[in-house]
Amino acid sequence: MRVLCLLLALSGALTAQRPVPRPAPELSIVEASGKTTALSSYRGRIVLLAFISTRCAHCQKASLVFERLAQEFPGRLQVAEAAFDAEADTEMFRQRFGLTFPVGTVSSDIAHDFLGIPAGTRVGTPQIVAIDSRGVIRAQSEPLGTPLLQTPDYLCAVINAIFKQEPGR
Amino acid sequence: MIDHSLVISPLAAFLFHLKQGFWLYPWPILIGFLTILGYQSVGRIVMLGSVKWPVVFVLASLVSMVSLFGWLTMVRRVGMIPLYGCGVGLASAMMSRVYAITTPMHPQLKIRIIHVIWRGDTRGIVQLQQALRAHAASESDAGRARV
Repeated sequence: MRVLCLLLALSGALTAQRPVPRPAPELSIVEASGKTTALSSYRGRIVLLAFISTRCAHCQKASLVFERLAQEFPGRLQVAEAAFDAEADTEMFRQRFGLTFPVGTVSSDIAHDFLGIPAGTRVGTPQIVAIDSRGVIRAQSEPLGTPLLQTPDYLCAVINAIFKQEPGR
Repeated sequence: MIDHSLVISPLAAFLFHLKQGFWLYPWPILIGFLTILGYQSVGRIVMLGSVKWPVVFVLASLVSMVSLFGWLTMVRRVGMIPLYGCGVGLASAMMSRVYAITTPMHPQLKIRIIHVIWRGDTRGIVQLQQALRAHAASESDAGRARV
């Protein structure tokens, strides 16, 4: 019985996600043009980052929501997406959905590491992360995805809540 | 996962859960209910034989479209099966209490309206039976006259 409890606790610990708030690790997003953008270069702005699969319908829908939010909060919000599906054509994805924000690629291991999820764990896409201007992750999807974080109204409320706590406000 | 120090208006989350709840629970029930209600109503209207075939065609097509639209918009997962079944069951139980559905002409508006005759409506049933007998008699008289 004790062994079983230990195994259960161990499996829980292995699949657990790191809690928020926590500092966002450095991340480099490589765009199709070859341009590499470091996440730290967005410091000073609220960042809405999504780890997507270009073939996932929810990610495509979320990208349109992101585009809308990027237009709603110009200068205050930086939106970026990182595709981690194999052979993702991010340029075609950007053009198809008319996205004006950077869409690049990262490896699956890097995405897992950033999200604080053990490598190899199944994740639901899109994985949405809201980072404040100091580079602290304030909101993040659950490992299997959080539909609430894909809705424009809720994302708007999260961004406004982060903005209200920004220094200098 | 949200940082609990963030003060987020609960309205957005409430509306999201309300919408999600609607699509997950009442919607499959409604679709099951409307599918059976539609097919059974069309069937009963057609059985009376007083409706022209183009009307039957349009009604049956509409019911099929409503049913298919419902299926298309339904969140299809195992949990939906009992809910859809509930809707079908409710509509079937309700329709079992319906004796007939007629489409009489409205005296003032001069358009056909849907009139439901329930099993408990003895007067309505008798009136319908008399009307059907009269209709059958006039049909057979007309047939004899043609021969």
